[in-house]
Amino acid sequence: MDALVKNVRIIAAFQKDKDISYISHLDVQRTLQRAFRRADLPLAYTNGYNPHPKLSFATALATGFSSAAEFVDIEFEREIEPDIFLERVNEMLPCGIHFVKAFVADSSLDTLSKLLSSAKYSISFNWEGEVSKTQVEEALQTIMTSTEVVVSKKTKSGIKPTNIRPDILEAHVVDLADESFGIELTGKLTAAGGLRIETFLNALYEKIGVSGFASVHRSGMYFIGSDLLPRLS
Amino acid sequence: MDSIDLEKLLTKVEKPARYIGQEWNMIKKSDYNYRFALCFPDVYEIGMSHMGSRILYHTINMLDGVYCERCYTPWTDMEKALRDADLPLYTMETKSPLKDFDIVGFSLLYEMCYTNILTMLDLSGIPFLAKDRSESDPILLAGGPCTVNPEPVADIFDVICIGDGEELDNEVILMARQCKKEGLNKKETLRRLASIEGVYIPSLYNVHTENGKYLETVPAQEGVPARVSRRILKDIDSAPYIGNQVVPNMSIIHDRVAVEVMRGCSRGCRFCQAGYIYRPVRERNEETLLKQAHDLVACTGYDEVSLLSLSTGDYSHLKTLLPKIIDSMLEKRVSVSLPSLRIDSDLREELEKMQSIRKGGLTFAPEAGTQRLRDVINKNVTEEDLLRAVRDAFEAGWAGVKLYFMIGLPTETDEDIQGIADLARKVSQCYYSVPKEKRGQGFRLTVSASTFVPKPWTAFQWCGQCTLDEIRRKQQVLRTAMKGVRGAELHCHPSMLSVLEAVFSRGDRRLTSVLIDAYRNGCRFDSWAEHFKPEEWENAFEKNGLTMDEYAYRQRALEETLPWSVIDAVVTDSYLKHEWKKALEGKTTKDCREGCNGCFGEKCENYCSISKR
Repeated sequence: MDALVKNVRIIAAFQKDKDISYISHLDVQRTLQRAFRRADLPLAYTNGYNPHPKLSFATALATGFSSAAEFVDIEFEREIEPDIFLERVNEMLPCGIHFVKAFVADSSLDTLSKLLSSAKYSISFNWEGEVSKTQVEEALQTIMTSTEVVVSKKTKSGIKPTNIRPDILEAHVVDLADESFGIELTGKLTAAGGLRIETFLNALYEKIGVSGFASVHRSGMYFIGSDLLPRLS
Repeated sequence: MDSIDLEKLLTKVEKPARYIGQEWNMIKKSDYNYRFALCFPDVYEIGMSHMGSRILYHTINMLDGVYCERCYTPWTDMEKALRDADLPLYTMETKSPLKDFDIVGFSLLYEMCYTNILTMLDLSGIPFLAKDRSESDPILLAGGPCTVNPEPVADIFDVICIGDGEELDNEVILMARQCKKEGLNKKETLRRLASIEGVYIPSLYNVHTENGKYLETVPAQEGVPARVSRRILKDIDSAPYIGNQVVPNMSIIHDRVAVEVMRGCSRGCRFCQAGYIYRPVRERNEETLLKQAHDLVACTGYDEVSLLSLSTGDYSHLKTLLPKIIDSMLEKRVSVSLPSLRIDSDLREELEKMQSIRKGGLTFAPEAGTQRLRDVINKNVTEEDLLRAVRDAFEAGWAGVKLYFMIGLPTETDEDIQGIADLARKVSQCYYSVPKEKRGQGFRLTVSASTFVPKPWTAFQWCGQCTLDEIRRKQQVLRTAMKGVRGAELHCHPSMLSVLEAVFSRGDRRLTSVLIDAYRNGCRFDSWAEHFKPEEWENAFEKNGLTMDEYAYRQRALEETLPWSVIDAVVTDSYLKHEWKKALEGKTTKDCREGCNGCFGEKCENYCSISKR
């Protein structure tokens, strides 16, 4: 490859709607790659026997979660206007995946996964029993005022008690449009790990004494070290 | 279906992407008056890989006012989730239950998916047997290669389409829609459909038996054809292909663009059902293929194009097509693959080119270990052909080779089994004789020996299958003989599955009740080792007073009327008998591109362009 040709880097965010949330992270990767190819975008490829487009995600989204903004870093062989990118790729994406913003990033910027710090979630419930809004508020209060929330976490070396409290940054009950209520939750999320929503929910169900079926939506993702990326205020 | 109901189901199952539809290029229609459910009796990732279903999805949806939707067998976890929630199986496009469709059509690709048909009907509240269904139930239709002997499932289906489906299915759909418009009942509709060439209506035939033994199948009414002739699409080049290929949201088995370079095969291998029932060879033009490949890559975003057929190495214009297609795809970083390469294809240069983009394994199928047995089965490939081809491949940098063989072929002796190991040894030696700097690293030789299953409409349709005990012994002989072959790995598994496959391949209508009982006993996804329940199948046979042995192992007399004789697959009975006699004499039959062998008899003139050359 010509050393003088500099690849152009675009950081973009896409939303993943509920109806397509059941495709896995790997499937999303493939879906995006194919959409980029259909849009005939000048993607940069890796070298080697199996060249693939240079594409890296801030983080994976659990299968079944929807999201308002998943961040992805894409390299192109030549310049492309972010607006043109948005227009062309959105025409080629299957129903339920849609890019919402894109901007050119400097090559010196760290990878998204290194900059990632936290994420916000909106969670709605189908409770398996009678649960009042007050009950959930009280349970969250208990969690937020404790210094320790210990859950058993499955690790390679067996089940281990883990304190997830430091990973919970903020949590409160919110009213939803259909007159039910849900939770808005902000948790740590970094390349090294962070708050697992399932683990949090199990702790919550335990405090309330009733389980539920949760529908999880990632409403925001926050980063450090760049003004171009959303920060947690 | 309610979205919250669906959401609850999807959180409980593995690979939920199997059940959501919403794929790129999925066809959406709002204005339609006739509904066709295109069902594939296996999981999504297999059904979505089937080229025939892709063609029909496109050709049926080309019809104005007809909406064709797809449906696949739910994996066992989803089956349970649907049952627990008391929800019906639904289609990918509109999430509608199968009961809401006018026609529910199944593709029958292999016999061991028959229980999955029952799962899909059961989950839809549709009675299994045609005679038990009411006017409000959909018309049940079947098509695909297994229908050349439709008898084991004949009591289930209302309509069975024999042969190429792209014209036939649309004729059936249009006529059935017309009948609906005229207010005809199902019986009257079926009666009318029987007039279409290639349509078999099982309920319009009587099956005569004597002491439980099959005698013959005869029309139950006047005006019903005595034999149903297989439909043959004459002009494949101008026929519609698959339109805009649906791009799945999850990884599937054949996850690539596939262009069908030709239909049929001219080789005449005597064991090969596909070789007989897709005759004659019909090719697409180079320009058509180049355009199709280009358009499909553009509309899918796939990075691989596969040139599909029963024997792509035999495509007349391969030598010019391959470099053209490889060059045209190079810039887009699209690789080209050939799934079925003949050993004697002379393609060294192209192989090297293909490797420059991407390297995969190479597969060769000598099928039998000695020249004598290869002559019996008419696999006209010599040891020299194979060794030259693998040497070319090794010198071009390939290091992975798979060899496919069959065990239990007619006239086979232990010498032929020994021959498999000898051939493998020579291939291994060939790799190590190529200079180190030239050959690829990490030699892998996979030798796979499957069990021969005699199939209807082949020269071996009368043969008794080799017994399972004898197969086990032969596999042991092979294992011993393969010891010390450097870099080789042997795959051979004795399985009742091949016996069951032989049973259903050449079965009759008595098997329908066995099938239903096996399903009730919990049999599902029989071709998946983790689900196959041989003892439950045995129980089902016993309950019906039948044995697998009589279907699989019995040598049929040449004079016998066979259960599938109601079908006319166009290849004549006398030709098959002649081929069987030649097989026993070890005499080969030439590739029909070298001159007509007369396999269609009187119909040669009408159906086969080769015979006119």
